[in-house]
Amino acid sequence: MNGFILKKDNLVPLLRKLRKGGRLVAPVQNRHGDTMFTAIEDFDRQHIDLKNQAQASLKPFFFPQEEPLYTYQNKKGYDFKPVNSSEPTIFFGLRSCDLTAILYMDVIFSQKSPDPFYFERRREAVLISLGCSRPFANCFCNNSRSGPFLEYGFDLQFTDLGHCFFVEADRARGEELLERWSCYFTPATEEDCRNKYQVVLEARSSFKQTVHVDQAIKKLTADIDLESIWKELSSRCQDCGGCAYICPTCTCFTIVDQPVDDTHGTRLRQWDSCTFAGFTRMAGGHNPVDYADHAIRRRFLHKLKTDVEKHGRPSCVGCGRCVGICFGGVDMIRFIKMVNELPAEEGK
Amino acid sequence: MAGLATTFGSGAMTNSIAEIGRAEVILVIGSNTTEAHPQVARRIFDALDRGSKLIVIDPRRTALARQAHIHLQHRPGTDIPLLNCLMRLILDDNLHDDVFIEMRTENFNQLRDMLFRLDPREKAAVANVPLSRIKQAAELYGRASKAVICYCLGITQHICGTDNVQSIANLAMLTGNVEKADTGVDPLRGQNNVQGACDMGALPGVFPGYQAVGDIIIREKFARAWQTELPARPGLTLLEMTHSQGKTIKGMFIMGENPLLSDPTLARVRDTLEKLEFLAVSDIFLTETAELAHVVFPAASFAEKTGTFTNSERRVQMVRQAIKPPGQCRTDSDIISALSRRLGYEMNYESTAEIMEEIALLTPVYGGMYHDRLESSWGLQWPCFDRRHPGTEFLHKYNFARGRGCFVPAAHQLPGEQPDREYPFLLMTGRVYHHYHTAAMTRACARLNRESPEALLEINPVDAGSLSLVAGEMVKLATRRGSIKLKILISEQVAEGMLYTSFHFTEAPVNLLTNASSDPKSKCPEYKICAAQVEKII
Repeated sequence: MNGFILKKDNLVPLLRKLRKGGRLVAPVQNRHGDTMFTAIEDFDRQHIDLKNQAQASLKPFFFPQEEPLYTYQNKKGYDFKPVNSSEPTIFFGLRSCDLTAILYMDVIFSQKSPDPFYFERRREAVLISLGCSRPFANCFCNNSRSGPFLEYGFDLQFTDLGHCFFVEADRARGEELLERWSCYFTPATEEDCRNKYQVVLEARSSFKQTVHVDQAIKKLTADIDLESIWKELSSRCQDCGGCAYICPTCTCFTIVDQPVDDTHGTRLRQWDSCTFAGFTRMAGGHNPVDYADHAIRRRFLHKLKTDVEKHGRPSCVGCGRCVGICFGGVDMIRFIKMVNELPAEEGK
Repeated sequence: MAGLATTFGSGAMTNSIAEIGRAEVILVIGSNTTEAHPQVARRIFDALDRGSKLIVIDPRRTALARQAHIHLQHRPGTDIPLLNCLMRLILDDNLHDDVFIEMRTENFNQLRDMLFRLDPREKAAVANVPLSRIKQAAELYGRASKAVICYCLGITQHICGTDNVQSIANLAMLTGNVEKADTGVDPLRGQNNVQGACDMGALPGVFPGYQAVGDIIIREKFARAWQTELPARPGLTLLEMTHSQGKTIKGMFIMGENPLLSDPTLARVRDTLEKLEFLAVSDIFLTETAELAHVVFPAASFAEKTGTFTNSERRVQMVRQAIKPPGQCRTDSDIISALSRRLGYEMNYESTAEIMEEIALLTPVYGGMYHDRLESSWGLQWPCFDRRHPGTEFLHKYNFARGRGCFVPAAHQLPGEQPDREYPFLLMTGRVYHHYHTAAMTRACARLNRESPEALLEINPVDAGSLSLVAGEMVKLATRRGSIKLKILISEQVAEGMLYTSFHFTEAPVNLLTNASSDPKSKCPEYKICAAQVEKII
């Protein structure tokens, strides 16, 4: 593997150069102390924060909470015009879980026919990730096999070696950047490579959460009886939808038409969530899902069972954001622990 | 409010919300906390995760009741016999706190005599709860070293609301569960600022900070500051106004309220509003009430103004303008000032910070609250007497606001209306998670409206069976005052003979049906109980 070294002093100068090629998005701490992925307008006034986890993932940049898909006009029959709001963007400082989530969304949005709106943005994105040498409080990506460092999928991956960054490329776009801005990089020595592996090893052993995802998946695949868990968690679920909105891999949406007047309007795509009763309620009022007891059943089974069967891996990336956001304590860590505490039984 | 003020000397929540998460036992009575106060419910969940015990007293088997270690599903309106029975069992087991009662309270003998005279079995029968379950609850609450009681409108919206509250206060004092951290009595206030509105004197008998209108010294203080004469007579209570039907009131200015959906016996409210010579309404949407107004002021929403909100735990927090008010909308304070100027009284404030300075000057419990202090923090909890005061996490430390806590024994009172042959069901009203009060805002939000699009009448499967009703059927719900049509939800959440629905929906305005009888002290209407009948629509 060809690694390179970037001095920390050169980070901002490099990003300044990269920004000339498109919008630059990085985790920025705002004046209220919250770290969010933000477009950088001014390096002197916006503080790039590589110490804290960004509160939201990059999902909204590829799949916005609400996006206009088409404008329509009704003269003699409807005439739809697609809306294009994509622009070339360099994403810097995303974490391994965020990147894994994007790779998962690539799969979801390419089923049957690729989603043009998603892939327009995806094609114009350069992804520069930063491996996590110090995992955050609720992270368990080592257990969900989506971090703390990745082997593939990134354009460039940065590793913090203390005094400098170790930089490696996986995809052609990353290689191009290294070549174009080679003046900022020096080839990594063998010692640098050893240091990098040391950081990776130490990171793996410094997680604060131990969540046995694979064990839970095994139990779920064996179809054990989970009724008590659904009941307990559903009665604690407050139906706010926060878990689905914050989750980097929840991609359910609904489409609504917003009329401007009698003949014009906009067709919008908005996030939706399977935890909402209105998600499955039928026109006559019947709901095939009993939300009193099963409000969160589909969410957890989709992540840990359906996706394992369909795509060979769970769609929980272990970012821990649902743990922080849920005020009923109905989060992935609790669910997995509850499943693992159930006595093992024979498959039905 | 009136109940706790008499007993403790202050009507507000004694705890901070975070303390609930640290209590050993939590008793929730008359509160559907997960739906109405989810941010308080989260603290209850935190406590449960930490191993605390939860007792829920509620006529409905709510989501929180299903989480409880003990759920006492009593008959609506029997809170006093149930609580008295509970206290008697605590006394019998010697679980009361002698030292606390001796040092910090008064009038205990009267309560004790009353408790010793009553027959627990009889009271349990009135409440329709097995005595053994009440005994378990008494032991759990009585033995806890740190216990908190949360209550809400299920307690206050009764003809005996004040007595209900005092019984709760009696229980807390009997066991010494006040005046210390992580113990207390917590009325959960609705809305983001209902506590603030009360604090600012939006009550008939008090100036800001609960300073009595009848007190000449107080009145003179305010008269000097405002350079105007002030009436000594307290104002009217809600129903004295909205049920006056042309007798006393000729004109009204209603701000951010929608009585034409929220007040009981709507026919009388409509009659009152229609008889007014002049009605002005200020709101962010054209509500049912605003539609009747001669003048409507479009008001700014929370995101369009700068000022403070005071939440249930007495915490005063800053809200900063994020967007400009659209069109001709103006903030409430702007509307009031402009009106006042035209009426000949000059109100001239350069900013809301200046208004806050006036509040601090005239309101002792807000004495140290200034915008610059609130700006950089999560707010301050009153009482906060001066700039150096750090605010108050829980009330009544060392002694009650009134000196000694006063036991006020209460006896069972029948609700204003009881089920009978003609109206055999007992109808309770409340709220649902997705909607806020008269839903002027939440029904304008597509997602919330999709989640909860219509009023549902909860009915027990047995009752639905005997009326041959099927799930989702439209029925006619009637009381002596009127009838509405709505869909049924067959559910074991309600016991046999009970019905439950919410008042958010203008298509099925349940307050056409509710009873106007109210508590004689607090004047709070009895929304929680009226006699009703359900009819199949053929």
